[in-house]
Amino acid sequence: MKNIAFLGIGAAAGFVVALGILPAAHGANDLSTYRQLDLFTDAFERVRANYVRPVEDSVLIDAAIEGMVSNLDPHSSYMDAKAFADMQIQTKGEFGGIGIEVTMENGLVKIISPIDNTPGAKAGLKAGDYIAAINGQSVQGLNLNDAIDRMRGAAGTKITLTILRTGEKSAPKKPFDVTLTRAVVAVDEVRWHREGDVGYIRMPGFNENTSGGLETAVRDLKRQIGPGLKGYILDLRNNPGGLLDQAVRVSDDMLTSGEVVSTRGRHPDDTQRYDASPGDITDGKPVIVLINAGTASASEIVAGALQDHHRATILGMTSFGKGSVQTILPLSEGGGALRLTTARYYTPSGHSIQAQGIIPDVPVAEGDEDDVPKIARPSEADLPGHLAGEPVAKKTQTIVRPPANAPKNGADGKPYDFQLVYALQLLHGKVAAASPPAAN
Amino acid sequence: MNRIWLLALGVAAGFGIAFAASHFAYGALPGSPSTQQLARFGEAFKRVRDGYLVKPEDRKLVEGAIGGMLSDLDAHSSYFDPRTYEAMQTKAAGAYGGVGLVVMVKDGVASVVQPIPGTPAGRAGVKTDDILVAIDGVAMKGHSLDDVSARLRGTIGTAVALTVARAAAKPFDLKLTREAIEVERLTWHREGDVGYIKIVAFSDRTDPDLRLAVAALKRQIGPSLKGFVIDIRDNGGGVLQAAIDVSDDFLDAGEIVSVRGRGKDDVERYDAHYGDIAGGKPVVLLINGGTASASEIVAGALQDHHRATVMGTLSFGKGSVQSIIPLDNGAGGALHMTTARYYTPAGRSIQVTGIVPDIVVSGGPNAPDYEREEELPHHLLAQGPPARPLGKPIEPAAGRSYDDFQLAMALALLHKTLAVGPGAPDHA
Repeated sequence: MKNIAFLGIGAAAGFVVALGILPAAHGANDLSTYRQLDLFTDAFERVRANYVRPVEDSVLIDAAIEGMVSNLDPHSSYMDAKAFADMQIQTKGEFGGIGIEVTMENGLVKIISPIDNTPGAKAGLKAGDYIAAINGQSVQGLNLNDAIDRMRGAAGTKITLTILRTGEKSAPKKPFDVTLTRAVVAVDEVRWHREGDVGYIRMPGFNENTSGGLETAVRDLKRQIGPGLKGYILDLRNNPGGLLDQAVRVSDDMLTSGEVVSTRGRHPDDTQRYDASPGDITDGKPVIVLINAGTASASEIVAGALQDHHRATILGMTSFGKGSVQTILPLSEGGGALRLTTARYYTPSGHSIQAQGIIPDVPVAEGDEDDVPKIARPSEADLPGHLAGEPVAKKTQTIVRPPANAPKNGADGKPYDFQLVYALQLLHGKVAAASPPAAN
Repeated sequence: MNRIWLLALGVAAGFGIAFAASHFAYGALPGSPSTQQLARFGEAFKRVRDGYLVKPEDRKLVEGAIGGMLSDLDAHSSYFDPRTYEAMQTKAAGAYGGVGLVVMVKDGVASVVQPIPGTPAGRAGVKTDDILVAIDGVAMKGHSLDDVSARLRGTIGTAVALTVARAAAKPFDLKLTREAIEVERLTWHREGDVGYIKIVAFSDRTDPDLRLAVAALKRQIGPSLKGFVIDIRDNGGGVLQAAIDVSDDFLDAGEIVSVRGRGKDDVERYDAHYGDIAGGKPVVLLINGGTASASEIVAGALQDHHRATVMGTLSFGKGSVQSIIPLDNGAGGALHMTTARYYTPAGRSIQVTGIVPDIVVSGGPNAPDYEREEELPHHLLAQGPPARPLGKPIEPAAGRSYDDFQLAMALALLHKTLAVGPGAPDHA
């Protein structure tokens, strides 16, 4: 086999060019780069020529880019042109859909919860319902994203779901069809209500509307509760993160100065610091942040910043531990985009969260979550190919658990939420922080 | 092969750098669609190389890319990186070993069906239903069964690291040393005046073993021999030539199987030679959802030639052939890629459709719920007309329990006491 390579480099303003001009026989590294690219071309041509049926080149290349990127770590991925467009809708916080949070279970789509005031909730879909088919097409063999894709669509269009309801005695034995009209659904909207004299704020994700939502929530809670307001509970449980700048703004809303977070990339000069500006929308009232193993990424930035500045008490269970930053790098002309891990973030005190997570000041268990298999809810350290964390001194903590006689449901009929109950007691001084953070 | 790569870096407004790759080896001209697609890959490669958190190894990037491209094709195609391929190559040299695990893949998750006692996995305490999260640090989620098996096997004496998840515990690592694993050989015994032969997998030893078994059964049972039950239930396949030889053992002439690739002329036919080791005695072939690949070739051939009555439940439906295509003479690993489909003598594709039994007999209440080819993510689609409908299975009568209901029905058929199916007395 005879190969000749020419690598020419043109002007690239503002860009560090890593590849040098490559004459045929140059340094070992560069030669190896060339050989690797040649190996890829060889594989590509073999598949084009010999696969059992013809496949479009673009399909092969999409899969190759996805394979290359997702092999790096669990959070790097490739979005083809369509997925990229969808993502832009998602981060804007609205899309045409039916308003249900879903997961995959036993090959079926399971509804975690219908979101209030959405077509899904109005049609009577319930948490725990299984979706067996979408528009008559079985969901078997679909992955979750494909299924979600099929449920989304332009507002005003109709969709028929085949629902399997189990668990309730009165539930129909057979699957039944529900037809819904899609509407614009605001995802990850900040929700709030008063818990007596405490303001409770639920933040399910971080999109472009999140810090605005927090500011509205705090204003409304102040008005509702008045001068007797004891403090706030910011619920970041199962919040998988989102936009970094929103996490910075949310932290800044409650901090008056100092660093919120810093991100550090491959090169020393990639370091970026985000600082708080004066002003605390909560007027220095006590804040408790609820976290659990589903609290990740942008949520961990908020928890880390408020913890390091002693602005909030962190209550719950150790968070997921995703301390890496993904940057969206659009590829040229409709080529989709890379979601690439480009940096790690560090809390103001210089801790990397990667694989370690935010350790709560007051560890309180939800219930039997320690019995939940790790596979069902992995943390970053469990993901194959995760980025290694940096060593941090371990704290030994005693976890507060719900009493054995804890009710199944709270007074409001919703499932009993021990972490929230404990947080309220802490704000009211009825319990002391059971295990004050040990000095490092 | 002459190949020229031209990589020119220019300015692409707003994005920095774009690659333009020209590739002439297959007549692709600069600006042709294929070239544009390669350029797209080049751009992504460069962006990752420059922008990723740590400087990535070029080798890793390309292995990830080839792996992604292959495993996206269908459920059985994958890429063997150079290390895996090297380990596999020793298979030819004979010093081939494993860890002693029977594995299955369902919903993209590899799990242990059974650790074979006395093997490295058995001794290390691997248990049924353990999940193989990773092998040698490579996450196994989404990998095909062929690929998982290939990674477990390798040179005797070499080590393989498994990451295993068990029910409620954190995944743990196990380091096992590969040993020679005795592949279970064909077993046989007489069932009264019927010869029963179970083939668990198709290997080089299957055909000679089968000939010995048939001869021994003939001798044991004598002239009253009614026929044979060949049991290929849960036989996941194996060596194609062994399946052809086994079919040939019962056939006098005609096609056994054809393997058809992408090109019109890309057809290989395998024909039977004169001679039937069973002397024309009736044969019942038992199949189920675990009957796959090479086993389905045998079932298809004997069914189409009306040489055997196929009994049991619908087979798996793996009618595709994978070839190993080394890259850079093996230094670049190898593509494990679907290049052809199997067709039965009557021209039926086995893919997805599977083999529909002549007489459908239920596996009984405890039969596992087999995952079929069509349930694998991005499986290769079926071709040709749909199979005839499966029909209602024969079920055990209420209140009666059988050790092996399908075998009992096979014996009943050979004794002409079964009231359905070809050759049975018509008193239904």
